[in-house]
Amino acid sequence: MSEVLTVRGLCKTYPAFRLEDVSFSVAPGSITGFIGRNGAGKTTTLKSLLNLVHPDAGELRFFGLDPAEREYEIRQRVGYAGGTNLYYPKKKLGEIAAVTAGFYRSWDAAAWRDCLTRFALDPDKRLEALSEGMKVKFNLALALSHRAELLILDEPTSGLDPVSRDELLELFLDLAREGVSLLFSTHIISDLEKCADSIVYIQNGKILFSGALDAFAESYLLYEGPVTDSQRAAARGVCRSRKGESLLLRRADAGLFPAGGLRAPGLEEIMTHLEREGDEK
Amino acid sequence: MKLLKKDLRLACSPLTPLFLLFACMTLIPRYPILVGAFFICLGIFYSYQAAREGGDILFTVLLPIRKRDAVRSKYLFTAAFQLIGFAVMVILTVLRLTVLRGGVYADNPLLAANFTFLAFALLIFLEFNVIFVGGFFKTAYYYGKPFVAFAVVAFLTVGVAETLPHLPGLAFLGGVEGPELLSQLPLLIVAVIGYFFGTLTACRASERRFEKLDL
Repeated sequence: MSEVLTVRGLCKTYPAFRLEDVSFSVAPGSITGFIGRNGAGKTTTLKSLLNLVHPDAGELRFFGLDPAEREYEIRQRVGYAGGTNLYYPKKKLGEIAAVTAGFYRSWDAAAWRDCLTRFALDPDKRLEALSEGMKVKFNLALALSHRAELLILDEPTSGLDPVSRDELLELFLDLAREGVSLLFSTHIISDLEKCADSIVYIQNGKILFSGALDAFAESYLLYEGPVTDSQRAAARGVCRSRKGESLLLRRADAGLFPAGGLRAPGLEEIMTHLEREGDEK
Repeated sequence: MKLLKKDLRLACSPLTPLFLLFACMTLIPRYPILVGAFFICLGIFYSYQAAREGGDILFTVLLPIRKRDAVRSKYLFTAAFQLIGFAVMVILTVLRLTVLRGGVYADNPLLAANFTFLAFALLIFLEFNVIFVGGFFKTAYYYGKPFVAFAVVAFLTVGVAETLPHLPGLAFLGGVEGPELLSQLPLLIVAVIGYFFGTLTACRASERRFEKLDL
């Protein structure tokens, strides 16, 4: 089966920021984490996918379809939820859902009722009365009730406590098992370790990596110990701590360092080192 | 129509229908009754405010619709309330010109409830649609400056409408007698045509601007 989403050469220029040649894809039934620090271009990219922002260049395909020609059909099959977006806070969940239902030909009232039970949502509650986690679940419930095949989620876990976050990530895993594809942006690395199959890593508007999460993690090593200038030059990022310096290096450069000081880094360590290097550039 | 239903159920402030009662200002004797049209627009403004606070625009454009339909539905929503208010004004104007004629309305130095009044009410509604709604859709977010601009123009319009019948040769604009009303009729017809075409043009311009807007 072809990719549910393909992005090729997406560019967008703002006075103080540029999104440059962003390319990646999302496989069917997969969870793709879209990571990068605040301001790296995650939201601009996601908004470009949803036609909320007009890219200067680039090509998008949803389910192999061109959104310029088949936007209506694509919108029926894609769900979006922003972690910080709160629609109609004074309205009851049931009322928002009733209005939303009218726009989707694939709206499934039984699926909506299932979601209410599954996420413990009360349709008579007002949106503003929900916790942050429940708000995200409500957005997911709307998307799942119109049988969205691809969920685009912008920072769905931001602002959630660790338990709610964990609960939500497990829900993502369940959805992926049911065949739903998820693309979610986050700057919380542990989210990826929990559930992502692949990642798209964006730094200063450019894609640094796009592919399997394990391949990304395995391509780096961390060295802690005394370093020479040539070793420092080979490093992809340097961080300092109480214990001294740590260097992130490509696995291919491992021969330049004493084996005793090398170890596999965690994702957070990789990102921290890469971002520090990006700052220095 | 689905979008209009959505606007009415999710984005409509309770003040919007409530402020339609200001159409009844038409019945206040010796009062600049045109401000009723301004207050009806103020009521509609509250729905734009509620829509902004409720993330209505983003919610709407994420639905499976054409982006420009979000603009069209807002103009439809606005015009629907304006025309309900206008219908009430028409009924009350007819009442003042017929069964309520004379009495407290006999000695009125201000603009009477007549066809001139109705024409200027439509002009104020059109100003709202062009200046406020058009201004709002430049950003789909900021509504303060467009509303202040509309308010200034609307009150200038009230001033002009109140002044015109006092100018030489234009006294017929303030009259309530048959021949005077007949002379006012072309003005009302022009206002009706101007309102519909002006609103349509403002809507099209807003659609074009909104299509290009990054949200």
